[in-house]
Amino acid sequence: MKWVPDTTAYDEAFDRTAAPRPHYRPLVTTLESFTLAEIDRRERMQKLALVDQAITFTVYGEKDGIERIFPFDFVPRIIPAKEWERIEAGLVQRVTALNLFINDVYQDQKCLKDRVIPPELVLSRREYKRELLRVTPPRQIYTHVVGTDIIRDDRGEYLVLEDNCRCPSGVSYVLENRNLLHRVFPELFTRYPVRPIREYPRLLLDTLLWAAPRASEHPVAVVLTPGIHNSAYFEHSFLAREMGALLVEGRDLIVEDSYVYMRTTGGRQRVDVIYRRVDEDFLDPLTFRRDSMLGVPGLMNVYREGNVAIANAPGAGVADDKAVYAYLPALIKYYLDQEPLLGQVSTYVGLRKDDFAYMREHLSQLVVKTTGDSGGYNMLMGPFAGKKEIEAYLAQMKKAPGNYIAQPLIELSSHPTYVEGSFEPRRIDLRPFILYGESVRVLPGGLTRVALRPGSYVVNSSQGGGSKDTWVLAPRSA
Amino acid sequence: MLSRVADALYWMGRYLERSENITRLLLVTDDFSTETQGLAEQVAQAAWKDLLAIFPAAQVAPPASAFAPMSQAYLVAFFLDPANPYSVHYSLRKARENARSVREALTVEAFLTINETFRVLEGHTRRGLADPPALREALGATHRGLFTTIGAIEHTFTRDESWLFLKLGESLERVYRTALVLRAKLPALGAAEPRADVTLYYTQWRTLLRALGSLENYRRAWGAHLEPELVVQFLLFDQHSPRSLRYGAETVKTHLERIAGEPGPAARLVGRLHADLCYHDGAVAGGEYAGFLDRVVDVMGQTHDALGAQYFAT
Repeated sequence: MKWVPDTTAYDEAFDRTAAPRPHYRPLVTTLESFTLAEIDRRERMQKLALVDQAITFTVYGEKDGIERIFPFDFVPRIIPAKEWERIEAGLVQRVTALNLFINDVYQDQKCLKDRVIPPELVLSRREYKRELLRVTPPRQIYTHVVGTDIIRDDRGEYLVLEDNCRCPSGVSYVLENRNLLHRVFPELFTRYPVRPIREYPRLLLDTLLWAAPRASEHPVAVVLTPGIHNSAYFEHSFLAREMGALLVEGRDLIVEDSYVYMRTTGGRQRVDVIYRRVDEDFLDPLTFRRDSMLGVPGLMNVYREGNVAIANAPGAGVADDKAVYAYLPALIKYYLDQEPLLGQVSTYVGLRKDDFAYMREHLSQLVVKTTGDSGGYNMLMGPFAGKKEIEAYLAQMKKAPGNYIAQPLIELSSHPTYVEGSFEPRRIDLRPFILYGESVRVLPGGLTRVALRPGSYVVNSSQGGGSKDTWVLAPRSA
Repeated sequence: MLSRVADALYWMGRYLERSENITRLLLVTDDFSTETQGLAEQVAQAAWKDLLAIFPAAQVAPPASAFAPMSQAYLVAFFLDPANPYSVHYSLRKARENARSVREALTVEAFLTINETFRVLEGHTRRGLADPPALREALGATHRGLFTTIGAIEHTFTRDESWLFLKLGESLERVYRTALVLRAKLPALGAAEPRADVTLYYTQWRTLLRALGSLENYRRAWGAHLEPELVVQFLLFDQHSPRSLRYGAETVKTHLERIAGEPGPAARLVGRLHADLCYHDGAVAGGEYAGFLDRVVDVMGQTHDALGAQYFAT
């Protein structure tokens, strides 16, 4: 059996002498007890299971094969208890600060007045919703579900890459990956105290119901999906089923007398909490995009009157802006009077003159992103780009410097991944999921995405990424 | 429950039932035509033509070769052609699409079995399966896959409104399709002269019972002796056979009553039809069935419309 340790990036499983790190030793030993033929057989079983269960995502702009399988690599990523403890505390701190920041932006804007962050940077964002100024969501929670992307640099340091405060997706794969690995490789679990994750749907439901505005004994929470053609439809349906909540589309909901109802076979039924997996610009054609067919006319009025909770709350997107990210350490300090527990990637903000000047001169060493896009689109990977590409990108940047940020290229850590008979290093990241309800809780682990192409840094499912099961180990009972 | 979900479950029930019906009719008609095409080609040909009356709008390609069995073109068209709106492929795809659009309302087992059955069928279409024994085998496997799906639903669903709408679609489709089969087959059968070819004559009646999944149940009630009048009576009025019109109408009626407190227009339509099937005077079985079967078809169409107005378009 061949294991190829990484020689440039931080290898999660092997140290610099190519010996397995202590928490990976039992895994390597167990896998080495299999014959290659047996491993191949298990891998085929696992692929077949994905198809049979239609665990899929949808790729836009492709004619056929609309439903695609999200590739799964069976070599689990293992996080020791001590490391996780730090990540968890850092995430709780971060999400607490993010929520305080959003509340502030839509109330007194103290952080802008105190110049912790440039007002023009916040107020010029498309994600800043002027119409929601002075509207308070139930229990002052904006960020019910956050997915924060974390990477490790070449020294193995955990760094936050970005926060997703609108509708982060991927948690269904976290749960399904675990189920799949249980079935295909039960042997791997025998020597590890892996913390379970099955509770997530219940925790999510608790989080949603905690936000219910009505003091009802049985508040009704629903999952709002754009429909079957959305790329994350599998997840919407999965979460609704796992929570025992109804999955609704915009056309199932109707606003009447300042309340939201759903159309049922027995007439209209009131809805208290909407877990929206629809982009907020499409939530209500009367308030946001008028051409939206996915939304519910009048929904925002009901929300303003406090008669429905929307998770995540509209307007929350102002916090996951890539330029706001640069100011998060300062915001954590400002709101919590604490030092950030988790590091993040140093960031140049196009809005700052000095930063932009630096960016212009060093494009070939930087990763440049637009503040409005996600999913790895519209990026410039300076170190891999040709001269022409850089020049064309710079021409775009000059038109609106404020829309760009830049970061040094981080050597993402890599992880053994099974590729045709050997275990090869492939780059990974981690997206833990944080729930903000009665308290802030973090699901142990999260989605480990893996760039399946050798050498690639792009882990996005829309661009050839796959995923792994992520194990957080329980602390050893003393 | 959500109107949209109820609508999707209703159609899932209809398309599942339709898939099973087409599969069964193909298996039975293939047997019949293989058995008779050398003896009475016209009769074998007519059996396949009836299929076009029961499932209109299908395109059948000309036979691939002079030696190809008569069945082949029909099997390909009604089993694997994704464009024929009455092929098994089309119906099962629709059933799965409806299932996928309300996956959260189904049990895992129900979705997995329907997904798997369709995936295998889709593979046959992709590979352009065409040789007759392979088609037969695949058809048989699909039939078993459908029963696995129906069994999974039966075994795992909670008996709430979701279940009722699914079963409503299934039972309505069954009554409707059974009436169409009878309407297509009975006139020619009723007019046939037993003396001309006794064996063929009884083969046709036996095939009719098999086509409606009722041969064994008929034998249990009346023995192996086929009496045309008894066969018609059995298929229309039998109280216990799950594929008689009477049993089917009763099932539709029961499900409707459990869904609605007050009987709506749909319940009234089906209730009256059920009463006629219970308290018939024998004249229908005696030969005056043409008008009656027309009525069954009409009432099912009206019931379908009434359901849409009352539950799905709220």
